[in-house]
Amino acid sequence: VKLRQDLARDRHGGLILAHPIIVAAGGGGFGSELLESVGELTPGAVVTSTVTRTPRRGAPAPRMVPSSHGILHALGSPNPGLDAVLRRHAARWGAAAVPVIVSLPADDAEDIAALARTLEMQPEVAGIELDLGAADNSRGGTPTGLDVEASEIATVAARAATDLPLVVRLSSVAPDIRVVARAVAAAGADAVSVSGSVRGLELERGRVGSALGSPYGWLSGPVAKPVGLRLVHEVAQAVRIPVLGAGGVHTLDDVLDYLSAGASAVGLATAALADPALPGRLGRELAAWGDEHGVGDVRELIGRALPRRTGRGSRRRR
Amino acid sequence: VQPGQFVHVLTPRPAGSLLPAVPVAGFDRVAGTVATLLAADELPTGPLRALRAGDRATFEGPLGRGFAIDARSRYLLVVADVEGFARVRAVVDEAVAGGRQVTVLLGAPTVSQVYPSTLLPDEAEYVVATTDGSLGHRGDVSGLVTAYEAWADQCFAAGSTELLARLANLAKGRDGRMGVARLGRRRGRRPEPGGTEARRRAWLQLALPHEIGCALGVCAGCTTGGMDGPVRICREGPAFAATELRWEPRS
Repeated sequence: VKLRQDLARDRHGGLILAHPIIVAAGGGGFGSELLESVGELTPGAVVTSTVTRTPRRGAPAPRMVPSSHGILHALGSPNPGLDAVLRRHAARWGAAAVPVIVSLPADDAEDIAALARTLEMQPEVAGIELDLGAADNSRGGTPTGLDVEASEIATVAARAATDLPLVVRLSSVAPDIRVVARAVAAAGADAVSVSGSVRGLELERGRVGSALGSPYGWLSGPVAKPVGLRLVHEVAQAVRIPVLGAGGVHTLDDVLDYLSAGASAVGLATAALADPALPGRLGRELAAWGDEHGVGDVRELIGRALPRRTGRGSRRRR
Repeated sequence: VQPGQFVHVLTPRPAGSLLPAVPVAGFDRVAGTVATLLAADELPTGPLRALRAGDRATFEGPLGRGFAIDARSRYLLVVADVEGFARVRAVVDEAVAGGRQVTVLLGAPTVSQVYPSTLLPDEAEYVVATTDGSLGHRGDVSGLVTAYEAWADQCFAAGSTELLARLANLAKGRDGRMGVARLGRRRGRRPEPGGTEARRRAWLQLALPHEIGCALGVCAGCTTGGMDGPVRICREGPAFAATELRWEPRS
């Protein structure tokens, strides 16, 4: 079975994944620790945790608590800033045969442009993921991805600054994610990504406050899978560019579900924290499954659950 | 392996939950084994609840940075409550093996939860405080520390946040004048805060529990408040000098 795919065919060099199971943002830090620990079981790609222009300390502790069917976390994008991340991790990215996609927050058009221009100069960087879930400071801290125009502006800012493959991560809480998806696709995104992680609250033991150091957190783990599947299914009908889906993926069945719902690549974050080699292992399992079921190309599996009218089967193939 | 480190246990667990961590409560460097220690009431609910007697599970580790016992300290004080005792238990063996004198102060709610003295090496002095007075001193274990603070070169503690905050408060201000901190110190030379040297020189070292996270240093989930911003329990810790941590109540 052919698992290899190019997620950015319009870009020079493209964004080529050896298999469609990747580490989503938050599941592998800045990549080098994960890539060092997995050996041969490499993921299809690694999306780094969010990197900002200047160092960020992140949210107050506790940042992560267990929740029924998952974990609740509010990390606040702790990172040492782009320069330090490149200094510490870029060499390892270059040495690995795995594309590394750097996640940037879509909070400020000027910052986006500056960060994207810096990444453009780095041969080790395979692409950029622009996170519309990031809080937009000019709009009182609500996620950029809630507003169609702000999402467009952020995408254009990144697109204008770099020719690297650009994945735009949509906000899972956008009122109509299809409208945002269409807007960012028109603004120059090569692919979009969605995650089923939603906002949640767990109380501390005395029930007088949040169990986290921040008021609310993001709920991830198996509980996020139906949300992620629905988002992928909606977005895949709205745009023609590849969709990357994540949320609650732990097994090959989860991967096949996401592919059927229309995802071209499937991300793991929470599951990769407990088992960094899992994306690579699922890639092998998918290959074995495909061979067993007579699948010639992984693209045959993508979008099978989409309505026929707009399904991938009816589309122009390159 | 160092006292104060922890291991991940690869157990069957619900999808989406991260790996449970247990403290290294003892180890044998020659045999290459580690042991952990759980209170009996932790068995059905604690990190190893998926395991039954006779099950085999894989330990992954050791993880984190452990306690730093200064080569010159002769007198070690170990302070813990029932919850934290497993995280400092290995200090006792390490101290005895190194020919040091060690005193263990243990706080427990009642006599049935006290760690049996027969399981400690004979060389260790063992003092118990129970809240209900059913064994040893009545009251809180931190009340016993004042009697030993001048004697001890270094103190290693683990337990509830309240206990650790009380100990940190006690040690605060006396650091630099107590125990190992005054041994062979040269004028005008202060070790870099947070570094190994500073940690080894701190009179009070604490081991925090690793409750959640990847333990690889990538998820940034297991943080606690440090003096210069958040510190990761799995990488910078789980053992810290008390002076590295912030003790303000959570807002």
